[in-house]
Amino acid sequence: MEIMIYALLSVKKKPERLHALLAGMNGIAGADLHQLSFDEITAVVSNMSRASLIADKSTAMEYAAVIETLSKHFILLPMRFGSVMESNEAIIHMLERNYHDIQQNLLKVERKFEFGLKVFCDSEKLMAELREKSEAVSKTQRTTVAEIKNSASRIWVNKKLKEHRLEELLVTYVDSVIAEITGQLDRLKTISKIKKMVTPTTIIDGVFLLDKALKDELIHAVGDLQNKFPGLNFILTGPWPPYNFVDFTVK
Amino acid sequence: MHDNVIDRSRDITILELLDRVLNKGVILTGDIVISVADVDLVYLGVKLMLSSVETMEQLKSGKSIIEK
Repeated sequence: MEIMIYALLSVKKKPERLHALLAGMNGIAGADLHQLSFDEITAVVSNMSRASLIADKSTAMEYAAVIETLSKHFILLPMRFGSVMESNEAIIHMLERNYHDIQQNLLKVERKFEFGLKVFCDSEKLMAELREKSEAVSKTQRTTVAEIKNSASRIWVNKKLKEHRLEELLVTYVDSVIAEITGQLDRLKTISKIKKMVTPTTIIDGVFLLDKALKDELIHAVGDLQNKFPGLNFILTGPWPPYNFVDFTVK
Repeated sequence: MHDNVIDRSRDITILELLDRVLNKGVILTGDIVISVADVDLVYLGVKLMLSSVETMEQLKSGKSIIEK
């Protein structure tokens, strides 16, 4: 029998509230939830038998549901699915060993939620538009390429130059969209992590941590961005527990 | 149209949720990887993520959705 860990919480003055909450909840496979504490930090856990666990989509969603419910009442750090230790004692020792890091991360996410923002494009249409711009740039630089006398080399260089210009234009365009996004969201004092060019169609994949009270302002800001870039598709999800803003590994 | 938007919203929410719960959060090192029928959780995660990307690609032409 092992112990599955769902989340690390700051319970402080509300231990009885957590006790009551856990009494009305179940973990994965209907398991009872209980708490293990060290000082002001608590791990919410359940007993599980590794042999009987079915690690599929519905189990992962049950796991996430526990974290979701807890996050509505407590400041927490979600554990990644599959976080299992051998005993209650091992978990308490883990809380003790990592106490400072856990406290620091809990402080960072206090009264905050995470939101996700993905920006999709019609890649063929966008590339066609950028190709037109690239052609216009290449006309102005034709003399440089024309200096190369060998025609085969010239064709190859021209092709490479066009590809390079197209890539540069795409990166410049995506950077300009990111600048607009961060410009809009910085005033909400968000902490952000943004990846660009994730796939040809997913040009931006961002996550933002912001104060719970600013949710409506975030939705409004993303609406403004969508209006500003009608050719792109902005998808905002959340509020989520702060999965993307726990920057440490427990030992 | 409204139903389509809701369906897409639900799909995206599930994919985003699975991405987070399987790939984000506090990592516990030196411990157990759950395995079922010789397919460990890491592999299960990769499969789900590949599915997520494909589905996201299909959803790219939809309208903006603000919902969880």
